[in-house]
Amino acid sequence: MTKSKKKKRQDDFQKVKLKVGKTKPKADNATNINFRTKGIHLTEQLKKDGSAPTTHRKLNIKDLLSQLHHYSGTVKQGALVGLRELLTLHPSELDQHLSSLLSEVAAVFTDKDPNVRMSATRLLRFIAQSVPAERTCPFFPLLSAHLSCAMTHIETGIQEDALKVLDVLLDHYPALLAARPALLLTNFLELISHKSTGGGARKGQEGKGRSWALSVNPNRNVTGQQWRLTVLLRLGRFLQAVVEERRAEEGDVCVSGDLFGGLNGEEGANTPLELNWEELTYGKGSFQVFEHSGANPTPHSTFKLRPESQPGTGVSEGLSSVEAVRGFASTLVPLLLDVWVEASVSDRSKTDSAHLLTPDAMALMYQVLSVLQLLRKLTPQREHQDALDAWFRSEYLGEFKQQFMKNFPYGNLDTPKQRKRKDAKSKQTPTVPGQVVEPLALNILLCQVMVSMVILNQREGPAQEPDADWLMPLRGFVQETLSSGAKLSHRHLHTLLETVWRMVITQRSRAVTEDLLQAVYVQYQQMNLNLQTRTLLLSFFSRLYLQEHNHIHIARSKVLSRWLAALPIQLSQLGHRNPALSGWLLLSIQAAASRGNKDLLKSLHTHACRLYDPQEGSVVLLPAESQQRLVQLLYFLPVIPQGLLANLSRCCTAGRFSASLAASLIRIIHLRSSLSGWSVGSPDTAVCDVDYISFLFSILTGFSSDELSTLQEAGDESVLPPSPLSPLSLYPTPLEQFTHHWDVVEEVCHCLETLGSRSQCFDVLQNGICKNLTGLAVVPDSMAAGLLRAVARLLDQSVLPSEALLRFLSHCCLSLLSLVLTLQHTASETNHKREAVWGACVAALGSVPRLLRMVLQLLRVGDLCEEELPQLAQILSLLLQHTTLRNHMLANASLLQHIIQDLTRYCQGEAREQWLTDLLYCYSVTMATHRGNLGLRDIY
Amino acid sequence: MSAPMEIIVCADSAGQLWNCAVIELHSGTNLLSYRGGNSSPRALTVLNGEYILGAQLGKNFINVWEIQRKDQLQQKIVCPGVVTCLTSSPNGLYLVAGIAEAIYLWEVSTGNLLAILSRHYQDLTCLRFTDDSSHFISGGKDNLALVWSLASVVQLDSTNAPEPRHVLSRHSLPITDIHCGLMGPQARVATASLDQTVKLWELSSGEMLLSVLFDVGIMSVTLDPCEYYLFCGGSDGGIFQVSLCSQSLSRDKTFQSDNEGNQVFKGHRNLVTCLSVSMDGTLLLSGSHDETIRLWDIQSKQSIRSINQKGPVTNAFIIPAPANMFLPDSRPGIPLPRFSRHLNPSEQGEGVETGGVCVRLAPHTQVRPKETYLEKADKLYSLMSAVTDKSVFGSGENTKVRVSELEEEVRTLKKVNKDLYDFSAQLLTKPN
Repeated sequence: MTKSKKKKRQDDFQKVKLKVGKTKPKADNATNINFRTKGIHLTEQLKKDGSAPTTHRKLNIKDLLSQLHHYSGTVKQGALVGLRELLTLHPSELDQHLSSLLSEVAAVFTDKDPNVRMSATRLLRFIAQSVPAERTCPFFPLLSAHLSCAMTHIETGIQEDALKVLDVLLDHYPALLAARPALLLTNFLELISHKSTGGGARKGQEGKGRSWALSVNPNRNVTGQQWRLTVLLRLGRFLQAVVEERRAEEGDVCVSGDLFGGLNGEEGANTPLELNWEELTYGKGSFQVFEHSGANPTPHSTFKLRPESQPGTGVSEGLSSVEAVRGFASTLVPLLLDVWVEASVSDRSKTDSAHLLTPDAMALMYQVLSVLQLLRKLTPQREHQDALDAWFRSEYLGEFKQQFMKNFPYGNLDTPKQRKRKDAKSKQTPTVPGQVVEPLALNILLCQVMVSMVILNQREGPAQEPDADWLMPLRGFVQETLSSGAKLSHRHLHTLLETVWRMVITQRSRAVTEDLLQAVYVQYQQMNLNLQTRTLLLSFFSRLYLQEHNHIHIARSKVLSRWLAALPIQLSQLGHRNPALSGWLLLSIQAAASRGNKDLLKSLHTHACRLYDPQEGSVVLLPAESQQRLVQLLYFLPVIPQGLLANLSRCCTAGRFSASLAASLIRIIHLRSSLSGWSVGSPDTAVCDVDYISFLFSILTGFSSDELSTLQEAGDESVLPPSPLSPLSLYPTPLEQFTHHWDVVEEVCHCLETLGSRSQCFDVLQNGICKNLTGLAVVPDSMAAGLLRAVARLLDQSVLPSEALLRFLSHCCLSLLSLVLTLQHTASETNHKREAVWGACVAALGSVPRLLRMVLQLLRVGDLCEEELPQLAQILSLLLQHTTLRNHMLANASLLQHIIQDLTRYCQGEAREQWLTDLLYCYSVTMATHRGNLGLRDIY
Repeated sequence: MSAPMEIIVCADSAGQLWNCAVIELHSGTNLLSYRGGNSSPRALTVLNGEYILGAQLGKNFINVWEIQRKDQLQQKIVCPGVVTCLTSSPNGLYLVAGIAEAIYLWEVSTGNLLAILSRHYQDLTCLRFTDDSSHFISGGKDNLALVWSLASVVQLDSTNAPEPRHVLSRHSLPITDIHCGLMGPQARVATASLDQTVKLWELSSGEMLLSVLFDVGIMSVTLDPCEYYLFCGGSDGGIFQVSLCSQSLSRDKTFQSDNEGNQVFKGHRNLVTCLSVSMDGTLLLSGSHDETIRLWDIQSKQSIRSINQKGPVTNAFIIPAPANMFLPDSRPGIPLPRFSRHLNPSEQGEGVETGGVCVRLAPHTQVRPKETYLEKADKLYSLMSAVTDKSVFGSGENTKVRVSELEEEVRTLKKVNKDLYDFSAQLLTKPN
């Protein structure tokens, strides 16, 4: 028993004997590692939720948004990427979840992980691209709150990325951003400076504007200057957005900053206020109320549709008043000056001379100046700008002069040298790749910087003598740049012209004005300018000219009058190549002509024949609106010579411009003749009476003598051959031309009617027709109809028309009557023509009884062949049916009877045809009513 | 009380029988005629109901008649040049004439030449005053119409030349006629031009309200007193009536005759140079170069009378008859002084003779800053919002006093009320 007990005890802790050379026995608890594993990646959820669209990971928008609260950066980034994917695939999701989306995305602007921030920015850009501004509007306070949170974040990385977010917003929602400028502006300031929290004593010493001081953060991975540059770049863009938004709000096309925006800016200078209540409720807090829509808003107005958004905590309250802008400027300008000084000082250490700058410094300075420039434009109303400028001048002129102007002269003198240096330098040290600016661009940039400073400094009033010291180099530089003949880009030219404008307006000295204008004129005379530049220069001059009444030195400028005198020839040379530019030219010409500018009128007079050439003159080549202007220009010509009148009459008849324009041309010539009698008493008539009447006569005929003579020889193919029923061979004018001529003749008739004595007028017309037209064998139908109409309208009972005239007219009339018959069978589009011709014939026959008799006499039945007999009968029955002619027909009853007898005799052989029956019926009806009348008369 | 008598004053350029004639509006009888010379277009005016002034056609003087002495010229005002247009202010204090490019402004009481305004570049064609004489509008052949404030023109400050208040520069050909509506500086102004448009402007802001394009040049324009219609006399003899009540909002429109007020009065055969509407807006007077004056019934658009003249009509307008006109024994209230031809009479040594002192107030005292509607509204607004601010009651003891006063009043009122109640209750509860 005991033995067995012992055995058992030993069993518990059995010693394992390990022997050398033998394999170690496996432990009982050893893991068998003879298996292989494979990973299973669950990239997508297994559950399928059919209700909402998902990403390829089967995550719907709610999951993704909740993932944004995850602690891990990768998850957050993944969620952002997923959101982007989801939104691209299903844009409809964007509309539904915009509010939560924006709030969640904005929340990660301040994330610690740079990758997350980058993805957030990218997502924001994507959203901004696809959502219009008005839909983002309600969420914008949230966005901007997060943005300013990021901008003021203590970590520099977040600050830097906040600027990228700002970029996105500036790109897509500039107006929304600009609507609440207060907070952002403070943030900008805080990015490059800090509010000095020093004691009050120090503050007192420093003065009012020095509570902010420039700061440098050594932790940044860019230099202080580069950081400032990036911030200033954004500030500039932001201010630009504010300025633009304000301009759009004013509905003001032509702010003084944008002097040459358009020539029609004159109209836009005082655009009416149009209130749209719907917009106002969603738009700004307040709006100006105008006293009985007077030009000046009442300053007392307190009406607001909405409480103002909480006032900015910082420097300004929305920049809506001059004081606010001034306050902001007083904080910002010293900072900018500091930036400038630091840049120039740090630069001086690198280069030997103070004139030469590195590209970084140059870019920084440029930003400084453009921000200054924008500050000026921030004033709510234009009239306040002068006040602001005056304030700028009084506050900062000294400092500006000292800092900016100290090294100025080198800017233009040494630039070539500087460029070389720059080239060499950039080859040696290509260390700053992002900021290297092309040397030429750099040059021009420098010009612009200096020039924009000029405006700023010079804004106030007439230049006093003390300014001369720093104005002289500026002026010299501007002149040199302009007159060097180099081509300048549109932007630079624009800035330069603004400078010149300011100088000319403010300096009030003739010599200076002449020099500057001469320099601009050199630019203007350059060949091959593009349209934009050309328009810019043109509008510069024309606006200057329109301003002249205020400034006597401008009015007397020789350059300006030379420019004016050159306009007509430019217009004629331009031809039809550029209607827009011609339009600009015409505007200036018209303005000058209406002011009776002698130089212009003289030059216009010499080039009038070219301008109004019926073949290739501007008047026929340009679009309708310019044509009208050209026609109106005629009014101002002091003398309209014969040659010009001939051209004009050809213009009117050729149909290159509309009949209504031709009519207004005739009217204008009419007004300028002594016969119109509008300006009673004043003897300034441009057209002598003989010329005027011959002008009217040539329009009445509608064809020049050359054209008529070619028509005579044209042969048979184009004209209708003469026949006994149509003694003249008619040239059928195209329908369009006929209508045109018909309308113009109406106006001519009206002018002739109002000439005064009708009988004399008719005499003149009669002589004209007899001398020029009676010999014609081929007559255009439009001319014949026009003549008949004019004669019918002008003839007085007292006048006895001459035999020759009547013979010619009777031929015309008969030919036209047979034309009417042929037109009856053609398409309906000639209806108008037929009616016009028939009306003219009837009117002439009705007003001149002798004409009717002669026409009847012309109808010799014996000469006609058989086919023409029905035609004759038709003519007669038409005439008989016409009520107004009936009495005249009766007066020629015997003649009529004779014709009808002849007709019946000639047709006796055959069966009586329908036409003859009709005619006889008409005849008998007419005669019967006549006899009835006679009978009645006999009774009484 | 009988209705005011309205008369037609008209003149033609021939002037054979008379310079200007006065015709009864409703009967067409010729009442008076003033002899001597003839008048230029838009240069006949009645000054203060006491004188008739007409600029001689093509000469450099103005004929003046006393309104009751028809056959005798009172005087001739000799001017520096040919007068092209002339008008007098409705209050009879100023006379304005256009002489070549310049506007001459005289003070009637002294005859002094107060200002020469040369802002126009070409000859003037028309001058019009507002009905309260505060502004005048000048139109010229340089396509411009200028609005002048009389107060700013008259000021003695010679250092800066007076500037027009507004420049209306949208016409592209000479301006032929101007009409100024009622309501003083808030009036609407219609300008007609040879560029075939008539434009309606607001005087206070200088904004264009409407532009109507026609087929012909427009030589004359007028509005009826209610400004329902615009009447435009065309150069072809048509008179176009444009309804201003249409619903279309477009600022530029083309005239088309339709049945809704846009109509044409046909009858004249030549330029319609003068238009005028009677006080009640039922009759339209038109004068034309076809040597007739026509009277139209506006409602039915018919010509109800045609009066033949001896030459092209230069002036024709309807005015209420001045009191003195038909009393041969009456005298004008003020004798007309000699009108000076030079700007500063004192320099010529003439100013001393008169012995009077010319008192002219400085511009800022002349124009009293009157309380505008908006300021009134502001005041009202502040009063309304003051309830919340509690600023109405002032502050401190003032408030206490006021509060106690009010409490006192409430107490009395309560007492009165109770008495009244008791009394009436007593009365009602009484059995008989």
